[in-house]
Amino acid sequence: MGKIRFQKRFSLFLTMLCLTLCLGACGGSEAGKNADGKEKAGGGVKELRLAESFAYPSLDVHKDYYGWYTSIYGVSETLFRVADDLSIQPLLAKDYTVSEDGRTWTIRLADASFSNGNALTADMVMRNLQRLAGVNERFAYLADFKYTAEDDKTLSIATPEVYPTMLSDLSAPELGIMDLDNTKDFDNAPICTGPFVVKSFESEGTVVVEKNNAYWNGAVKLDQVTFYYMQDDETKLSAMQAGDIDGYTSVTAAAKEIFSNSPEAYSLTEIPATRLQFYVLNKNRLSDKVRQAINLTVDNQAIAAYLGGTVSPAVGPFGASAPYGQVTKPAVDAAKAKALLEEDGYALGSDGIYAKNGEPLTLNICYYAARSLDSIALLMQEQFKNVGIKANLTVQEDPDATYVASGDYDIALYCMIADKAGDPYYCVNALYRQDSKWALAGFPTKQSEELIDRLQYETDIQKRAELANRIVQMTIDDNAFGYVGLFNKTTVTKKGVVGIAEKCPFDFYGVNANTER
Amino acid sequence: MGSYIAKRLLHLIWILFAVSFFTFLLMYLAPGDAAMKKLYGQGVAVSEDVLQKTRERMGLLRPFLIQFGDWLWHVLHLDLGNSLKDGFPVAEKLARGLKGTALLSLVSLLLSLAVSLPLSIVSALKKGSLADHMIRLLSFVGNSLPNFLVSVLLIYFLCVKMRLLPVVADHSFRGLILPCVALSIPICSRFIRQFRAELLEQLSKPYVSGAAMRGVKYGYILKNVLHNACIPMLTVVGLSVGTLLGGSVVIETIFRWPGLGKLAMDAITNRDYPVIQGFVLLTSVIYVVTNLVTDICYHLIDPRLLEEGAGGSGK
Repeated sequence: MGKIRFQKRFSLFLTMLCLTLCLGACGGSEAGKNADGKEKAGGGVKELRLAESFAYPSLDVHKDYYGWYTSIYGVSETLFRVADDLSIQPLLAKDYTVSEDGRTWTIRLADASFSNGNALTADMVMRNLQRLAGVNERFAYLADFKYTAEDDKTLSIATPEVYPTMLSDLSAPELGIMDLDNTKDFDNAPICTGPFVVKSFESEGTVVVEKNNAYWNGAVKLDQVTFYYMQDDETKLSAMQAGDIDGYTSVTAAAKEIFSNSPEAYSLTEIPATRLQFYVLNKNRLSDKVRQAINLTVDNQAIAAYLGGTVSPAVGPFGASAPYGQVTKPAVDAAKAKALLEEDGYALGSDGIYAKNGEPLTLNICYYAARSLDSIALLMQEQFKNVGIKANLTVQEDPDATYVASGDYDIALYCMIADKAGDPYYCVNALYRQDSKWALAGFPTKQSEELIDRLQYETDIQKRAELANRIVQMTIDDNAFGYVGLFNKTTVTKKGVVGIAEKCPFDFYGVNANTER
Repeated sequence: MGSYIAKRLLHLIWILFAVSFFTFLLMYLAPGDAAMKKLYGQGVAVSEDVLQKTRERMGLLRPFLIQFGDWLWHVLHLDLGNSLKDGFPVAEKLARGLKGTALLSLVSLLLSLAVSLPLSIVSALKKGSLADHMIRLLSFVGNSLPNFLVSVLLIYFLCVKMRLLPVVADHSFRGLILPCVALSIPICSRFIRQFRAELLEQLSKPYVSGAAMRGVKYGYILKNVLHNACIPMLTVVGLSVGTLLGGSVVIETIFRWPGLGKLAMDAITNRDYPVIQGFVLLTSVIYVVTNLVTDICYHLIDPRLLEEGAGGSGK
């Protein structure tokens, strides 16, 4: 009897538990209404919901890389911006002139204003640049420039030496302009000039921006944009499928396939971006012929195909559409690669591996397991094996503190942004200079250094492109570097959503006044 | 009891010192540093000069013992310092993370207990029945499934297919449901297996069959069985609290739930020593206090253990 009573009570308990869970799960809420993707917050509010892979604890435009995100959120703007075709266009600036000696830049400002209605002045721009130099190590060099507010709308910048990359530098999102006098909370609510203003900011979480009703550069089409922080690719895919978000970038190969099967519901945009996957061949360890054989073996078309279209095969470090991306490299040729190895004294062994003096040709490929470099290393290993080269893979957690810094590799795989803001000098300087950490692999020559010096001071855009092309071509002809791929920027949006910088190769642009859903 | 607690708390000081010293040492020896991670954050290369100046500003060029001593000195003055990554106070970051993790862990633990306790009782009482087999099978499967897979399956079926819950949830009760369920499934499965084994052991003891033969009420017998099985069950629960507080990084990432796990993971990736040290201190305290509370519970349930402990220590 007692046992039966206990079982009844127990059954009742289980039923109540199940009911509680079901009621909790099925009850109505705002988020639930969003799940069908039809209802918009506030009823009639034109809202866009996007997912972002990164989130930061502050919206201070000048600090760290936070300016990238205030730019993506449509909150901050810069004096110049890089257009989709990589040309530099004025934004908060109206126009500019450069003195004959190339050391003084005079910038006239547009009739722009902050979201609080205050006009943008040359003095405010000057103080922004000075503040940036003080709070961001990467821009400390701005303190070396002399700024003069000629009048309310004219700013002159004098540099100690010829500084051709000024416009590119002024396009960097960290140089977004804030109203320094009226911003009370730089971390949570900076007052800027963009089409949107911060409505709510959750540190390293969700950010909501709303229309800047006083936007100086035309009408803003959206009322509100919500940026959800989502690191996980599966979560982003599911949120898109469930209708919880309207779009996101960095779509994986698997998700791309899913979205491309429903063209009536989703729009996919894919363009080669600025993040470069490349490798360096250590000239101190590998002969000219071996390096040439390696570059003739690595088939980056096959690698790009394997990576499901998330990267585009690269010829050089820059996109082929850029004037400074006009270089060529020889086609993949396994037979020629083998012939070169044999010319270098190697003979094919019974194990299918080339050897010289009894020593098999073995390469040490160093990489770190991010940005698909692990997949590339494996694919290269396979491709080398097919021509008779043995490759060992060495994975490092932190390349900059290990193999790059020590030069202890035959082949070092790496990934970095090659085009920071529409100019080749940053990449050329970072990779090919004598004092670069990559110099340990032995590329720089007197000739390359001279060309880089010329690039540093050349002001003519066309000549800069020619110089950059010559320098990059040298790295290819010398078989010092191999350029594998440029990451594609793949954006998925619901049908009808346009203008979230889906055609812009840079990571730091997002919504603007014309973004529409 | 008072001296026992005082002794345990005294041990805590040494534990905290040793754990923080070795953590600091390991992070110091690991390749890479906070300056490099901060500056290279978006894949943009910087010059060696900028890197060195940043290292100098962060105090990373000082000898190991100086760095550790400096950190320790501040901690002794109740200052956990600021994050090297973003400059925000470590205490604030930990408090925010702990709030999310504590809520997630507590609800998951309660849910796990609410489900596993009745199921393990049914399974033990109905040993060999279909219900027992089903419960054991489900607990086996639940124990085998990795967290990320459970999470993805839950999202797919409940959010994408059935549209019962949003993928993008806020930090309300509804937002808590999926991460809690995902976190509870493996814990619940482990509890069921361990509770069942303990209950079966108790049920096989002579006092149970003797009481049944004497016609003692079934509910009364079960109450005694549960009481006697309590101590090993408490140990399992106590150990799970530590796991829950420190190991839910996958759940936190997938469900966008701000918590300690993700905070620690990001700090390790960014070599953010002050945050890592703060996290280690906090979790060490939580582990020690949880174990202490578990021990105190033992004594409250069975005061003989205290006497045994006191006798043992006096010998």
